[in-house]
Amino acid sequence: MLEIAADNWVWSDAVDIAAAVAAGRVSAAGVVELTLLRIRERDPLLNSFTALTEDRALSLARATDDARAAGKPLGPLAGVPFAVKNLFDVQGLPTLAGSKINRDNRPAMRDATLIERLEAAGAILVGALNMGEFAYDFTGENVHDGAAHNPHDLEHMSGGSSSGSGAAVAGGLVPLALGSDTNGSIRVPASLCGIFGLKPTYGRLSRARTFPFVTSLDHVGPLARTARDLVHAYDAMQGNDQDDPVCADRAVEPVLPVLEQGVEGLRVAVAGGYFKCLNGETLSAVERVAAALGANREIDIPQAERARAAAFIITACESAGLHLDRLRTRAGDYDPAVRDRLIAGAMLPGALVIKAQKFRRWYRGEVLKLFDDVDAVLAPATPCTAPLIGQKMMRVGEVEMPVRANLGIYTQPISFIGLPVVAVPVPLEPLPVGVQIIAAPWREDVALRLAHALEKKGVVGAPRPPP
Amino acid sequence: MTGKTKRKATRKKNSNRAGRNRKREAKIPRAGHAPILQQRDPLDAWVAAQAQTLGLAIDPAWRAGVKLNLGLILRLGALVDNFPLPDESEPGPVFHA
Repeated sequence: MLEIAADNWVWSDAVDIAAAVAAGRVSAAGVVELTLLRIRERDPLLNSFTALTEDRALSLARATDDARAAGKPLGPLAGVPFAVKNLFDVQGLPTLAGSKINRDNRPAMRDATLIERLEAAGAILVGALNMGEFAYDFTGENVHDGAAHNPHDLEHMSGGSSSGSGAAVAGGLVPLALGSDTNGSIRVPASLCGIFGLKPTYGRLSRARTFPFVTSLDHVGPLARTARDLVHAYDAMQGNDQDDPVCADRAVEPVLPVLEQGVEGLRVAVAGGYFKCLNGETLSAVERVAAALGANREIDIPQAERARAAAFIITACESAGLHLDRLRTRAGDYDPAVRDRLIAGAMLPGALVIKAQKFRRWYRGEVLKLFDDVDAVLAPATPCTAPLIGQKMMRVGEVEMPVRANLGIYTQPISFIGLPVVAVPVPLEPLPVGVQIIAAPWREDVALRLAHALEKKGVVGAPRPPP
Repeated sequence: MTGKTKRKATRKKNSNRAGRNRKREAKIPRAGHAPILQQRDPLDAWVAAQAQTLGLAIDPAWRAGVKLNLGLILRLGALVDNFPLPDESEPGPVFHA
């Protein structure tokens, strides 16, 4: 088997690694060994991993190499190392969900469905990733495990709550990671870390054997350094799963066959009004993407501010319901910032939550009308580039607002009604920022085609952080 | 009754009705301004009462954080509360038996 130098593959995407493994240019075991080495060398700075699954990974890698040697067919992601936010069940590990409390839980008996599906496609799990406690976070800070650091500037936030997923992929530790997104927790770290993230349609990908946050709003999806890696991972993970009652009973709709169709004829608009970000760098990122797609039209997503408010209420109430028993017995073991929000959520009048859910249906109907005239809508992913770790307030235009509650102001109104979104990275200096490509329900293909086309044009792309 | 007296009586009657209406208006909160969402100070009492009702032991050091978060959620809640929807509107999740 050929030796490979770390520099030659660290920044390769999953598709290139799988092709190299399939062609015998590298061994899967070699890729995994070098991945583990790189994590050990680099992660003390990034703090993106909370556990490594070394034995399991090496064993699977050797089995992959044996299969190839025996002439057996390999999966499309053969030998590709990946890692998961630590709210995904990993057999043999307690599912932390970023918490201290869950450390006392028994190790998971079985992997989450999406891990099983990625491994069935040949990918190899190398570990579990840091995250904001119980996913109630946009910053990437965690009082128990420490903050994940932004690979582009270690003093800055990774974003959250899929903080380790953002940092590990952007930092070149793994080409692919899984995260979850309830209000923006894939798109916010993708934006701040400068990588691609897919939040699929609500119900598209199975959440079975993941620790929940707000089941009405919880999504799971991939983060990667190229759009085509998102596509390969997404295609491998699709399909109904009886273990997740929310997972839609839809046939697999692979995107790879249509990825190169281009974007000719796709009608793209820019979200105005509420989404017209007043911060220069974010505005410039949206303008750059819009110009590349010839998106001259501005549309208004009606009542987006209310949608964000309603998402906030449902999140507060449902998450409080999930944690109420633990709040009675172990409140002192929570991250204080999370605990206070959860307790406050438990005290909400129930009537408000019902009104928020009624508004949700009304808002969905209004927003879906927009897709009669457009195929995709562009909006900022975050109001700014990555704030400093520990920073409490940020400025959006002339308004000073708390960072923790507001990094997701542009993502919340979209996930609120489950629309599929690809967050694409615009490589600004000194820090990147993301733009959301929002499509109609079940049209991930549209958002992914646009992301891929933009990447090919060089308008978006995951910048390589300093060594 | 002379015309002048009649006009006076009518004015008095209207005035009484207006007074009663004012009293009634004072009791009915305007749409979107339900008392708990409008007044901040009662939040201390609300937090204490809810903690007791729910069986949550809140360390005194946490109260300010809880109150801050509750205030934020309720301010956002006002945006939802004051949005008119028909009685027949269904909530987002629909249960299928």
